[in-house]
Amino acid sequence: MELLERYLQAVGEHLPASSRQDTIAELRTNLLAEMEGREEELGRPLTEDEAAKILEAHGMPIMVAARYRPQHSLISPALFPIYWYTLRKSFPLLVLAYVVVEGMRIVVQGQPLSELPAALAHFWSIALIYWAIITLGFAIFEYLQQTQHTKFALPHWSVRDLPKLERTEKAPSLIHDIADVIVSIGGVLWLLAVPNHPYLILGPGAKFAHQMPFALAPQWHVFYWQLMAVFIAMATLKGLTLSPGLRPHRDWLKLGSQALGIGIPLIMLQLKPFFVPNAGSTQTVQSLAVINTGIALGLKIAVAVAGVKLLWDLWQLVRRRTGRQPGFAAIW
Amino acid sequence: MSPAAQTELFDSLRLELRRGCLVVAVLAQLRQEHYGYTLRKSLVEAGLEIEESTLYPLLRRLETQGLLTSQWREEDKRNKRFYRLSAEGEVVLGQLLDEWRGINRAVERILGAATSHERKTDGEES
Repeated sequence: MELLERYLQAVGEHLPASSRQDTIAELRTNLLAEMEGREEELGRPLTEDEAAKILEAHGMPIMVAARYRPQHSLISPALFPIYWYTLRKSFPLLVLAYVVVEGMRIVVQGQPLSELPAALAHFWSIALIYWAIITLGFAIFEYLQQTQHTKFALPHWSVRDLPKLERTEKAPSLIHDIADVIVSIGGVLWLLAVPNHPYLILGPGAKFAHQMPFALAPQWHVFYWQLMAVFIAMATLKGLTLSPGLRPHRDWLKLGSQALGIGIPLIMLQLKPFFVPNAGSTQTVQSLAVINTGIALGLKIAVAVAGVKLLWDLWQLVRRRTGRQPGFAAIW
Repeated sequence: MSPAAQTELFDSLRLELRRGCLVVAVLAQLRQEHYGYTLRKSLVEAGLEIEESTLYPLLRRLETQGLLTSQWREEDKRNKRFYRLSAEGEVVLGQLLDEWRGINRAVERILGAATSHERKTDGEES
């Protein structure tokens, strides 16, 4: 019977001290009776293997002990939908707050954009802490409910307070997408023509461009082709949305094109100064410095806004693809 | 659905179906006094298989809920904990049995209606 006592000892380790002795005594009686019943069937004493089989069939000690304990859950099934809803609804706000704060820090403190990957990487630790705080809050609430024996009650709601029926979304218009591609290709052609035909951008003022006290920085010639590559890639992605095979992925392609769009101000930010004084016009240097700084600030703000918009659109797309839970939101 | 997934789904649904029925069966069986081992034996003899590791903690839970009473007593030179249905348990068992019979009748009616509809359809086809 050493095996039985070892088994009971192992179960006892996982039982609360207050009921351990009583539970173990009862379990011993039942298991002994089980073994004796088996011995009666066989007409002989059990071998060690047979006794071990009976105990093993009874279950792993930690699992057996767990069944004697009151059932606990960090967040109960009744509370879980509220917990999940809170996380889902508040997460975009967390993302927005983080983007605004980090964006402001980068813009105001003049932090280089090279710090952007580090800022994004840091976000996950913030998200983890946020998740831990929300989970802890709900776990404490759950614990108080169980210990204080108070029952969680849903707020009063009425079916009349539910939001009006949402119109089903229209299928994306093919004509709209064709027009978008035509405009994009037109834009690319126009940009390709601008260097040789400045009047396309300056109009009649192009004749007087060489008389201006400032001109475009020489680096523009290098970055011009990088910008063109981005524009062509964007037009290509838009063109792919017209392919019947890729039509189901239209939203992702559009989002990819939108993400590439952020590359335009990012590339332009690399080529400071944007304008340089023409030879012999030293008086305009200070004014140009102000203009160049202003343009750089505007581009940084554009990157921040476009980044937030991209994240928002991504969030909306993921929500549409993963489906929503209508009705639940309406009571909060 | 793969056979493994189907088996898993069946096991899960079977567990749900059995959970409430086991409580009713245990309460009903404990109208007569039993200790853990003999209770399990009597349930098995009646055709209801139940694991020891499920039954013994269930007895404790039902006792905590006030549906059973228990008493340590010596029998065959060994101390055993005997369980019996409490007065409160008697009332709850009556309510549970009414509910169970109602569900049973409804399911039988649904199955009966489905069978007669199938026969009618078969008759029209032939």
